[in-house]
Amino acid sequence: MSLVLLLLVPFLTALIVLTCKQSRRAVAVAISAGALEIAAIANAMWRIRSVGVLQFGRYLRADGLTAFFLLNIGVILALVLVYSVGYLRHIPLGRFSSPRWFYSLTFLFVFTMIAVYLSANLGMLWICVESTTLASALLVGFYNTKGAVEAGWKYLVVCTVGIAFALFGTIALYLAAVKSGVDPASALDWAVLMNAAPSLTATSNLIKLSFVFIAVGYGTKIGFVPMHSWLPDAHAEAPTPISAMLSAVLLNCALYALLRFDTITSHAIGSGFSHSLLLIFGCLSVAVAALLMVVQRDLKRLLAYSSIEHMGIVAIGVGLGGPLALFGALLHTFNHSVAKSLMFFTAGYVRENFSTLRMRRIHGMARLLPWTSAGMVVGGIAIAGLPPFGLFISEFMILTAAFGTSRYFIAILLMLAISVVFGALLHHVQRMLAGKPVDLPVAKPKLLPTDFAVMGVCAVFLIVLGVHIPGAFANILQSALVVLK
Amino acid sequence: MGLIELAAAKALASSAVFLFITLLMMASAKRISTCIVLFSIQSAIMAAEILAIAYASKSIEAYAVASLVITVKVIAIPWLLFRIIKSLKASQDVAASTTGAQSVFIMAGLILLSFFAVAPYAKTLRLDEDLLAAAIALLLAGAFLMISRKKALMQVIGLLVLENGIFVAVLATTYSMPLVIEIGIFFDLLMGVFLMGLFVFRIRDTFEHLDVSKLRRLRG
Repeated sequence: MSLVLLLLVPFLTALIVLTCKQSRRAVAVAISAGALEIAAIANAMWRIRSVGVLQFGRYLRADGLTAFFLLNIGVILALVLVYSVGYLRHIPLGRFSSPRWFYSLTFLFVFTMIAVYLSANLGMLWICVESTTLASALLVGFYNTKGAVEAGWKYLVVCTVGIAFALFGTIALYLAAVKSGVDPASALDWAVLMNAAPSLTATSNLIKLSFVFIAVGYGTKIGFVPMHSWLPDAHAEAPTPISAMLSAVLLNCALYALLRFDTITSHAIGSGFSHSLLLIFGCLSVAVAALLMVVQRDLKRLLAYSSIEHMGIVAIGVGLGGPLALFGALLHTFNHSVAKSLMFFTAGYVRENFSTLRMRRIHGMARLLPWTSAGMVVGGIAIAGLPPFGLFISEFMILTAAFGTSRYFIAILLMLAISVVFGALLHHVQRMLAGKPVDLPVAKPKLLPTDFAVMGVCAVFLIVLGVHIPGAFANILQSALVVLK
Repeated sequence: MGLIELAAAKALASSAVFLFITLLMMASAKRISTCIVLFSIQSAIMAAEILAIAYASKSIEAYAVASLVITVKVIAIPWLLFRIIKSLKASQDVAASTTGAQSVFIMAGLILLSFFAVAPYAKTLRLDEDLLAAAIALLLAGAFLMISRKKALMQVIGLLVLENGIFVAVLATTYSMPLVIEIGIFFDLLMGVFLMGLFVFRIRDTFEHLDVSKLRRLRG
């Protein structure tokens, strides 16, 4: 029942908030619904912790892995909702681009992502991942400018084609299961497939074929190079809270789908095939994204390429296998979510004050916007993977695992890429912070207390995870690892 | 096996040929409306296949899926696309980057390729080779239409053909997925086409053309 509540709250909110004509009331409804949803997530996580696996009917299911990703979506949803209070000043009152449409589509987007996490059935998982694209495409094109429409169209078409390949992969796995004697009515259920996985070896060719399609399909949505073309456009053109959502939750959501398939494939035919495929995608993404970050001119595009790079690191972590690398990979998804949200939030303030995101036109930020600059420095150091922030720990775990399993090529490539990224970030950020202050085109809007709150919370999360992983959080991670074993 | 079952099996086997014909005609089509009609016919062929399966296996689920295909793919989506064309009042040309002859030639090549691609799987899994080849051919043809036609609506049609390919793959391999899943997939498809239609209008309003090859502001 607690699972139904998780889905019901965002869905109903999406409908209710549309009736709020005044934007102040829309904000109030959204914030209280957000608080309710976070309470529901906490409740579900608590119950998962005591029961192990929650099941509702045939199609909803939650286990340790779900709990970890629910925590991720809960934290980011809270941050984004609080941040949006200040951000709404941007939104012009158009026909479809008003605060209530913004909130309605956002909650619909959250609804589809939570549905992905709760799917007990791989077919339903596909349906929900496809719905996330549909729900967020309108958000990407929200401002209706030329760039936004182009990005929205590209996002819709590229991701729908990618996801179609994932459907093909799902069908191939279904066929493999049915041919091996699993009952067709339940051959897509995760629990049934996990039980039957060891007996699927007879159809190993078909399972390999299925995983290739799955990796390409869901990989498109994760943003693996070379299927990443939609990602920088969508991140750059979407409203800033949505950019944070896309980068910090949506990519993890697609990763979750891939993890589920990877686990089944590993159980059926051994982990060699699927993990080497993930390593190839991971290395490609890390290398290409790191180089492209050097030449970026737009702040949000820079951050988008950084997301591709971090997803590559996570893929390498999963591909290396073993408890340490996998622990590092899951921890990295969470760290990356928090750090990247912080960076996007500061990018939003930059846009508000300088009316541009072209990094060449931004100078003297340290003097003009000291607090925003502080946030950007913290976020920048964090996403570059330096101590004392959480991303250093998780990247270090993955690197240790790479050296530990004698994968020297991957370890060295990863270190090289991280150095290039550090150089690129240093170059871009210091050019914006230093220099003679430019004349601001608009009067400087003051940061609201809510803005300080979100930046502070992000920084605290990053520092705490960089110094010591709290016991409760480590437990959540451990029970997620049990599912993937 | 009774006579009717035999007829149903025959129809199933020969339907792959009809699917290939629609693909070749789509390759040579010059107007968007022709492609929409061909897509509708293609879906009707699929519906006929499912009806044949439903009759042979006396499964109510298969009848339900067939009626879904007819309402969504044969009627609703083509109708929606025709409405879009009518209110766009734009030129109907597909704006192909290959000539008609070249397109037909490439399409024939793709069909041949798909036969080679499925041969090893069809033998080991004892599946209907023609239908499986048709599924792969539809997938490839959809992708080909998407990259060689410049109009935004043609990309939607290419995507629909690709999706049909996946559907035929289900038919060729397992006959059908669980009904709930099928319904969900159809719902997503319908919403996807609806949203893409919305974006087509937005592209027209903001760019004043529908040529997606000219959408290149965002690069690098």
